Amino acid sequence: MKTRVSVRNVLRLGAVLLLTGTATTWVLTGAHRGWSRTTVTEMQTDEITGIEYPVHRDGFVAGVEFLGGGVLVALALAGMSFLKRPVPERSA
Amino acid sequence: MKNPVLSSLTFAVALGAAAVASHAAPLSFDFKDPKGVNNVQFHLDAPLEAISGSSNGISGQINFDPAKPAATTGRIAIDASSLTVGNSMMKDHLHGSNWLDVAAYPEITFEATRLAGVRTEGDKTQADVTGKLTVKGVTREVTVPVVFTYLPGKLGGRLNKPDLAGDLLVLRANFTINRSHFGINPGQMGDKVAESIDLSLSIAGAAPKA
Repeated sequence: MKTRVSVRNVLRLGAVLLLTGTATTWVLTGAHRGWSRTTVTEMQTDEITGIEYPVHRDGFVAGVEFLGGGVLVALALAGMSFLKRPVPERSA
Repeated sequence: MKNPVLSSLTFAVALGAAAVASHAAPLSFDFKDPKGVNNVQFHLDAPLEAISGSSNGISGQINFDPAKPAATTGRIAIDASSLTVGNSMMKDHLHGSNWLDVAAYPEITFEATRLAGVRTEGDKTQADVTGKLTVKGVTREVTVPVVFTYLPGKLGGRLNKPDLAGDLLVLRANFTINRSHFGINPGQMGDKVAESIDLSLSIAGAAPKA
């Protein structure tokens, strides 16, 4: 028995994966509520003076526009999966 | 025959004069930091967005006498192009002509003019420092609470050079300025870029001994 992969199911699966992936990335990179960042800052302390100072390194921190964009695209994919496909007319 | 009393008195006077002379002149502390630890952090909290950043492009000189801290003078400068935030596009905007315009105004400076409310406890001296703060070409008089921590003989340890003699002076200050007072895009975008900027300065200067 052949198994047909429904376009609807692909769209819905894509939507779920995108939503899950986006939300997971956002949470794992610190649930940052500002814009996405391209550097990560770590505070260190100078032993002699006691001064706390920031050390920057390259790194991605997902922001709200990353989360929002992922949610919107996922909703669009899910919405498309509910559209009716035009049924081709059968010739007599 | 020498008078022993006169000799002792002469020696005591000479010793006392040497002690006074060693503390008579203030020490000059250079705040250019080879370790890159000296930093100023800033924070703006607007209704729609919180912005945090920092700079370690700090230089300057402070003349500080541990025996007379009220006579402290000096000037601190921040390289405006070293101010950074975590988003590269936001950093470009920060440096641009609408905001700090670092190309036209490369330095932010503070020149101390007087100290008040000076109180010393141990190696720490607290004071309200009044001076001229210049940002984006606009100079205003501000008063900033500062904590000075004088660390004699600690320079060598900080630079991992035990043979290097010298003292350290650590300055810490937390204060707030209003960006409109300095012509930084006044009255614009207040929902995303707060008018109040919270500043936190932590810097250490070195005074090597010959």
